[in-house]
Amino acid sequence: MGGRAAGAISRRLHLGGGTSIAGVVAQRLYPDIVTHLSSQLAYGSVLVTGTNGKTTTSGFIAAILNDAGLRVWRNREGSNLMRGIAGALVIRARPGGNLRRGGQAISIFEVDEAVVPHMVEAVPLRVAVFTNLFRDQLDRYGEVDSVSARWQRAVSVLPASTTMILNADDPAVALLAESRQDNVIYFGIEDATLDLAAQGISPERHQTIDTRACAKCGAELVYSLRFYSHLGHYLCPNCGSARPQPQVRATSVTMNAFDQLRITVETPTQQGEIVIPLPGLYNIYNALAAIAAAQALQINWEPIVSGIQQFKPAFGRGERVQVAGRTIRILLAKNPTGFNEVLRTLFSEGEKRHVLLMLNDNIADGRDISWIWDVDFERIAQQTSTLTITGTRALDLGLRLKYAGIDAQAMHIVPLTPIRAIGKEALTRPHEKETPHAGSKNGSVTGARKIRPAAKPAQTHGLAYALDSALQQTPVGETLFVIPTYTGLLDVHRELERRGLTPHYWEEKGP
Amino acid sequence: MNASNKPLFTLTLGHLYPAQLNLYGDRGNIITLQRRCQMRGIALRVVPLGIGDALAPDEYDLLFIGGGQDREQAPVAQDIFDMKGIGLWAAVEDDMPVLAVCGGYQLLAHYYRPAVGPDMRGLGIFDAWTIHKGANVPRCIGDIAIEWNGSTLVGFENHGGRTYLGTAKPLGKVLKGHGNNSEDHSEGAVYRNAFGTYLHGSLLPKNPHFADHVLALALHRSYGLSDDDLKKIFPRYLSLEERSAQGTREKKRAAKKNGAHGAANGVIPPPIDIDDTLEWEAHASMLERLGLRNAAGAALRHR
Repeated sequence: MGGRAAGAISRRLHLGGGTSIAGVVAQRLYPDIVTHLSSQLAYGSVLVTGTNGKTTTSGFIAAILNDAGLRVWRNREGSNLMRGIAGALVIRARPGGNLRRGGQAISIFEVDEAVVPHMVEAVPLRVAVFTNLFRDQLDRYGEVDSVSARWQRAVSVLPASTTMILNADDPAVALLAESRQDNVIYFGIEDATLDLAAQGISPERHQTIDTRACAKCGAELVYSLRFYSHLGHYLCPNCGSARPQPQVRATSVTMNAFDQLRITVETPTQQGEIVIPLPGLYNIYNALAAIAAAQALQINWEPIVSGIQQFKPAFGRGERVQVAGRTIRILLAKNPTGFNEVLRTLFSEGEKRHVLLMLNDNIADGRDISWIWDVDFERIAQQTSTLTITGTRALDLGLRLKYAGIDAQAMHIVPLTPIRAIGKEALTRPHEKETPHAGSKNGSVTGARKIRPAAKPAQTHGLAYALDSALQQTPVGETLFVIPTYTGLLDVHRELERRGLTPHYWEEKGP
Repeated sequence: MNASNKPLFTLTLGHLYPAQLNLYGDRGNIITLQRRCQMRGIALRVVPLGIGDALAPDEYDLLFIGGGQDREQAPVAQDIFDMKGIGLWAAVEDDMPVLAVCGGYQLLAHYYRPAVGPDMRGLGIFDAWTIHKGANVPRCIGDIAIEWNGSTLVGFENHGGRTYLGTAKPLGKVLKGHGNNSEDHSEGAVYRNAFGTYLHGSLLPKNPHFADHVLALALHRSYGLSDDDLKKIFPRYLSLEERSAQGTREKKRAAKKNGAHGAANGVIPPPIDIDDTLEWEAHASMLERLGLRNAAGAALRHR
């Protein structure tokens, strides 16, 4: 009962889905709780970390392992700080202190980059997956380089028995295994048609690069292929460090539809086609990482294929919700690279889209929103049919879009809370706005506002209003794409759930 | 706007180390300067100045330098000293407007002393220095508002080093946040027309008056525009007397590029009404979130 209340409080405080508080309490009472409980997992533990793609990658792995007949435990709902890990184990513990049915279980821990060193010390790992390293939440973790340095320290204490799964195309990740001879599997893309230059995308204009210096010697890396941001085929002209040859690779990629990617995969033991039911180039990497992890765990090819092909996207990773004849698709975008890839996926077909953007700056999003200026919003000018903007920093995002060349008339900005200094009339909707200096009217307006009007005026702030407004502008039969930051995603989910539209996403799946 | 479509003025911005120092949305500052020039019929040419490029001050009308992470800042520190130091000193002494944000600000002061390792030498344009007091002293992170020239500037700061001013004047006084060192309420530094600041977020988009101020200084310096002319182009432009607090020593200079576009004084366009509503609303909403209600109201009244 107490745990449930704590979960409710945690959710209310925007701390995540709700298991975190249980973990905080347990860790305080028994600091070694994670080590104690995780050692009871018969099939061991898999760690998934990186800036982007953790949730989808661990989702793929879980689906594969489920199809292979294992009992899979995950710390879901993105509460992937240490307290969330503890919580995920604690809620499965019996009063006696042992895990329920730990005998058939394998656990997948999806953890933030900064938590990796603690995790490595606390949990014996069979497999450790490192997806990528991008600029994300610098205010929380410091800089990209310091995260990378922390990873390297964590990796240096990994036992030799742990298999490392590394992204060959990310120079910040690939170099982690330099000191290791065995037990490393690299994955990467080898389809040259995906190169940015081959697609006519100028890397200078459309991409932000997070890692350009060689981690070994500091020289600037040279790319023969670039897929997005700093991911691609690279070489250091100074010290000769180069992309390692991946064992698990996508040799050809075709995009069937917005959310259908057909890839040909080659591994040391298998070759075959797999259809990934998700949009975006980044999901190819997520699938390859999962395939590599599954092979490290000696899983057969059939569950690998079925696990990925029948994958149901996690909340915020492109899943679909039906509302009054419209479809809502929700695509989480929490950093510039993630955002750029979502935009590239959405707008690559030249089709105009209905879009609701939501920018929050709560702690879990990162308080610093400078990164929106590194997102290539220029590419969506004239590409949106309707555009609604909300979130705690809706005005900043609106400003970003204005400077990207999007007409103020073409966007509807809906702040989450009314801004007092701005009169209701002045809320940024130029077509409805009155001149700010209409002094003669001001007196009467102010006076009238003191009396509560009998008919409540239409609310012009808040997520519910933003969602209604965006849906109203989306014709029946069409799709509204909702692109929120992390806590925005939780807010959107809460709002949809309030309307009875989605299942509780933190409910445990399975028997 | 102007029938000929020919720009009235051309400004050249030297963007220092765009590939290395671009961590905190520095691109937003460049985009803002570009758009605000465009709206007024001013052509702004942006020239990237990377590692190895020399800085010839005559080729530029204003300079910008952003912030980066330590690994990228070290080679930059060496290059700025070797390749650009003399050019930058000359430019600043010649009243060229220079905007330096975050790491760039630190590089223009005397030195940066990391928690471990040797000092990183700076250019000493600002009589100021920066000390990192070690991993146990928390970084200065968060939203920040400062008072500047009787108005406000808002932004986000994220720096491990503490900067202390010698004879350099601060850019402004901290209203909420840390500023230079979290101790003396100073934020940033000013020397002549060079501005150093920790504010990003990005800085210029939601501080349009500051963006315009920098552009006005550039037009004044390169084209000899008078205060009256500048006020037509930039309604919020403050004349020298009005910003005497900054102590900028001014000298009347012959219009450097006089003749290139005809006599400057004759061709000032009629005042252009630029709609900065969204800029000021974003500015005011940040002030309000920081609890500075009166300042928020004032910002909206002045737009």
